Amino acid sequence: MTLAATDAKGVRPGIPPGLLASLAGLAAAWIAFDLLVWSYGESPRALLSMLFAGTWGTPYGAAQVLYKATPLLFTGVAIDLALRAGLFNIGAEGQLAVAGLAVGAVGASLPTGIPGVVAIPLLIATGGLAGAAWAAPPALLRARLGVHEVISTIMMNRIGEAFVAFALASGLAMKGTVRTGDLPPGAHVPRLDSVASGLRGSAASFAVILAVACAFALPWGFARVRVLREIALVGMNRVACAAEHMPVARRLAQAMLFSGAIAGLSTTATVLGYKGHFESGLGAGAGFGGIAVAMLGRGSALGLVASALLFGTLEQGGLAINAHVPMEAMQVLEGVIIVAVALADARVRESLARAVPRSLGRKARGA
Amino acid sequence: MMRGGEGLTFVAQAVRMAVPYACAALGGVWSERSGVVNIALEGMLLAGGLAAVVAQHATGSAWVGVLSACTVAAAMGLAHAATFVFGRVDAIVSGIALNLVAAGGTRFVLRALYDSSSNSPAVEGFRAASFEGGGDWAILARTLIDPATLFTIALALATAWALRKTPFGLRVRASGEDPEAVRATGVDVRRVRLLAVAIGAGICGLGGAALAFDQHQFQAGMSGGRGFIALAAVIVSGWRPLRAMTACVAFAALDALQIAVQDRAGQLRDLVQMLPYVATLVMMAWIASRRGASGEGAPPAGLGKHA
Amino acid sequence: MPALEVHEVDKRFGAVHAVKRASLAFERGRIHAVVGENGAGKSTLLRIAAGLLVPDEGETRVDGRKLAPHTPAEALSRGVAMVQQHFALVDVLTALENVVLGREPRGKWGGLDLGAARAKAEAVAREIGASIAWDARVATLGIGERQRVEIARALYRDARVVILDEPTAVLTPGEASSLYATLRRLADAGRAVVVVTHKLDEVRDFADVATVMRRGAIVETRDVTRSGDEVRSLARAIMGNESVAPLERGSRTIGGGEPVLVLRDVRMGRAVRGVSLEVRAGEIVGIAGVEGNGQREIVRAIAQLDAIDSGSISPAADVIAIVHEDRHQEGLVLDAPIRDNVLLGELARFARYGLLDADAMDREARARSARAQGPDDVTIVARTLSGGNQQKLVVARAIARVEEGHARVLLVAHPTRGVDLAASRAIHAEILAAAGRGAAVVVVSADLHELRALSDRIVVLARGRVSAQLPPDATDDVIGQAMLAGHDLSPREEARP
Repeated sequence: MTLAATDAKGVRPGIPPGLLASLAGLAAAWIAFDLLVWSYGESPRALLSMLFAGTWGTPYGAAQVLYKATPLLFTGVAIDLALRAGLFNIGAEGQLAVAGLAVGAVGASLPTGIPGVVAIPLLIATGGLAGAAWAAPPALLRARLGVHEVISTIMMNRIGEAFVAFALASGLAMKGTVRTGDLPPGAHVPRLDSVASGLRGSAASFAVILAVACAFALPWGFARVRVLREIALVGMNRVACAAEHMPVARRLAQAMLFSGAIAGLSTTATVLGYKGHFESGLGAGAGFGGIAVAMLGRGSALGLVASALLFGTLEQGGLAINAHVPMEAMQVLEGVIIVAVALADARVRESLARAVPRSLGRKARGA
Repeated sequence: MMRGGEGLTFVAQAVRMAVPYACAALGGVWSERSGVVNIALEGMLLAGGLAAVVAQHATGSAWVGVLSACTVAAAMGLAHAATFVFGRVDAIVSGIALNLVAAGGTRFVLRALYDSSSNSPAVEGFRAASFEGGGDWAILARTLIDPATLFTIALALATAWALRKTPFGLRVRASGEDPEAVRATGVDVRRVRLLAVAIGAGICGLGGAALAFDQHQFQAGMSGGRGFIALAAVIVSGWRPLRAMTACVAFAALDALQIAVQDRAGQLRDLVQMLPYVATLVMMAWIASRRGASGEGAPPAGLGKHA
Repeated sequence: MPALEVHEVDKRFGAVHAVKRASLAFERGRIHAVVGENGAGKSTLLRIAAGLLVPDEGETRVDGRKLAPHTPAEALSRGVAMVQQHFALVDVLTALENVVLGREPRGKWGGLDLGAARAKAEAVAREIGASIAWDARVATLGIGERQRVEIARALYRDARVVILDEPTAVLTPGEASSLYATLRRLADAGRAVVVVTHKLDEVRDFADVATVMRRGAIVETRDVTRSGDEVRSLARAIMGNESVAPLERGSRTIGGGEPVLVLRDVRMGRAVRGVSLEVRAGEIVGIAGVEGNGQREIVRAIAQLDAIDSGSISPAADVIAIVHEDRHQEGLVLDAPIRDNVLLGELARFARYGLLDADAMDREARARSARAQGPDDVTIVARTLSGGNQQKLVVARAIARVEEGHARVLLVAHPTRGVDLAASRAIHAEILAAAGRGAAVVVVSADLHELRALSDRIVVLARGRVSAQLPPDATDDVIGQAMLAGHDLSPREEARP
């Protein structure tokens, strides 16, 4: 169930791995885009240039792409981490929603004059902890009882949705709204347009730095941090690790918790960096988008970053061409890319596996 | 708390709402018993529902709608199975992708055909008579003889019989337990799996049609997690079709309860909406804790394995 | 016209050239043995012959006609069936369901007509002189019974060529003779019987023709004489020019005083029913017994991977270095580099404040790899190594733990299964050396030669109990008898037509 892993030395037998698969994904995306656009009677090339104009064509558009890409990078990293352990964290959606609520609520209760050096790390940590907390039930269920995390995380998504609505309605929100109170001024992460005037009005903030840092910290962590290394080994062969008395269940739970925490960090971009409060629906979609990002870019920090930028572009671009072709087409593209990448990747792994003769194989069990 | 009449209405409601769950669960049984993990039931419900509504809207016939739902869902099932069987892609990845394509695709088609991103125009579905009227026992009776209910029960019985007593069913079960061993007997495991998944997906599509016809329209995202709950029902019932039906009725009852209670819940309304999902989690945890060592109710040993 | 032949067949698995342009014919009415050491390519060749593997070059011919398409289905329909070493039976299905799988009889309404199937299955069972519990789930059947079900399945499909891969690896000596009697009956009835085996004494006693394979190539094919010299001459053909000097057992002092490893009346379910054992420092105890008599469970209990119901095992698992029986599943993380594999489970030693000391890990990993005659580049992924090299790494890991004082007991399960001769000898040397340095060693193995070469005494397990403790020079008969102790030898197992 795991995807092939690379450690910091890039140890894989020879073949340039992600590249082939990523190209396949892009090719499939282009074909799907063409089909969807044609079905609307539009010209793919025209729409593509419109998409480009609305995204990378202007500094504002580029910054918007960055804004949309940042949570995707966080969730992409989060899901990649879980995948290394052989776990599917489909619950990033719920994790970031609950984290948003927590950051919004805690932030709104902070004193107005609080300095940024205190508020920002505090709130970032809050987001991480809340995300981890929301990942805890599936983590424990998986580690202790073997309950498959796909279903439990999806359930947690829906429970999270209801929980956030309930919390907002029960007093965390300002009267008559679905948003929490404002954060104190010190708790805002500065927008990029505060240093680059050409980006004025865009939502991108310095949170993107934190996201990129996470992406690059991951491969380093898997090589040098003991817990992460063991998580990766567990993901590759749980039985052998158990035979050597590695705490497999604990590592699996930890992987889920770390994953939830990083998903929760995405609030740095949405709440701290953009809105300055939490509102219902803020950040929605990044949980599922992160799956696509992780599939396309996994194993490589650059790959994750590039992948997040790609999907951020699609999201922002979808808005730009929405008048011509529904932006839901982008969701379809996401699914297509996932399958195409997985297909290309599976072929590579197949040919690797075929190199091993089935010698020991299965056991003949006796009475 | 409830008067006798309300109780019957409630039962009728639960049975009616159980149909989509049950169809999706049967889809899960066919697929997973043959060894293919299927988390795309949710997407198949959506696609089936939309296909049914579009078809009835275009032709006026509910049966054409049902046929379309089956076909579209079965095609999805084939794609899912083929990606796993031939492409060797992890079935979970394929399922996630299919769900995304279905979610986005149904909205896309809604916009394209009806210029709305959330609702389709109304259709009649199967039931000409209105649901109210005729007393409580009549309501219950009408639900039980509704084509959707009868069909679902028949399909459940047919599935149980087919798996245990037919050559194809034997091959499906064997492929799900030990595909390598089965291949050595000359059986084409890949073909068995493709067929089994397609059959299951077709049944799931029926559930989508029932769902949409029940509401007399298609709404974006109307499956609401039923596909995943159905899969949980399958797991919790040990991949046995008839037991899965019972679990589905139980989940549907919770769903009905949640709706009934909502009006009186006031502030707790949102919490109450969590009920089916929390119940699913609790159910899965409970069953998992009782199962411990493998044996009764263990998953098919060949799930996810190739021949 | 040979019943089955392979013609110029070639097969590679990645870098391993498993079968090199082999051509071989199997005749009707004969029992044809294919012999060779582990890794010689016997199983691969026969799986190609049975349609289970597609060769890179060459073809399989049945009754002179090419086997096309090259699939198990086609081979079965042309009358070629193989009983593989790891039985291809579906555990949760009944014996009868397994036998008919692939050629199910259809009744009315499209249902299964098991009644018709049962009649034919009974007839087949009579032919091989067996009585099979048709409605029992295969999971509940013993190994000998499962083998009979597999053979019954082959005959149910009207197989005219029956291939068996290491059929006696899991049988007691008595059961083995019984099996060969059955095979003789099949051959006399006009079928071609092919047996892949490494047990040369069985070849001498039961086979008509023997083919020797070495390193993927066919060395020679000849008629088998029942002479006393046969085994030695076969062995020479198998080994080629390599001399087979026996390993020096060396002189070891078996430490006096308290035993290091003590098992007292260990019980685990139905598999282990009261096993007691004591091993002292410097001693090598071999555990013999046909697979399925509790060995695997005891190893897992000593490793503290499974809980015991009652009794005691001391010391605790952290001073025991273990080589598990399945290196692909339990021994190695195949997709990880050598460095991770050779230090698996020991990362705590190299961690300070949660961070790993990469240099120290590299040093230790290279040292262990060198010990196992492995590559110096420890970033190489384990999957790409040969079976023998992989096993040597796993053994080196365990031995290092003993040497560095982290473990006082060395437990190795089937240490040379599927491993070529050179690597086997290296592994045996390491085991002997470890004992020489004072470790208490337990070797679990189905290979009596291996146990004889290594052990100071042999403990025989049968039906979850210790049935005998014997010196290493005990005869096959004595050991075989001990293996049968407690087994049900009721008349139905010896039924004759």
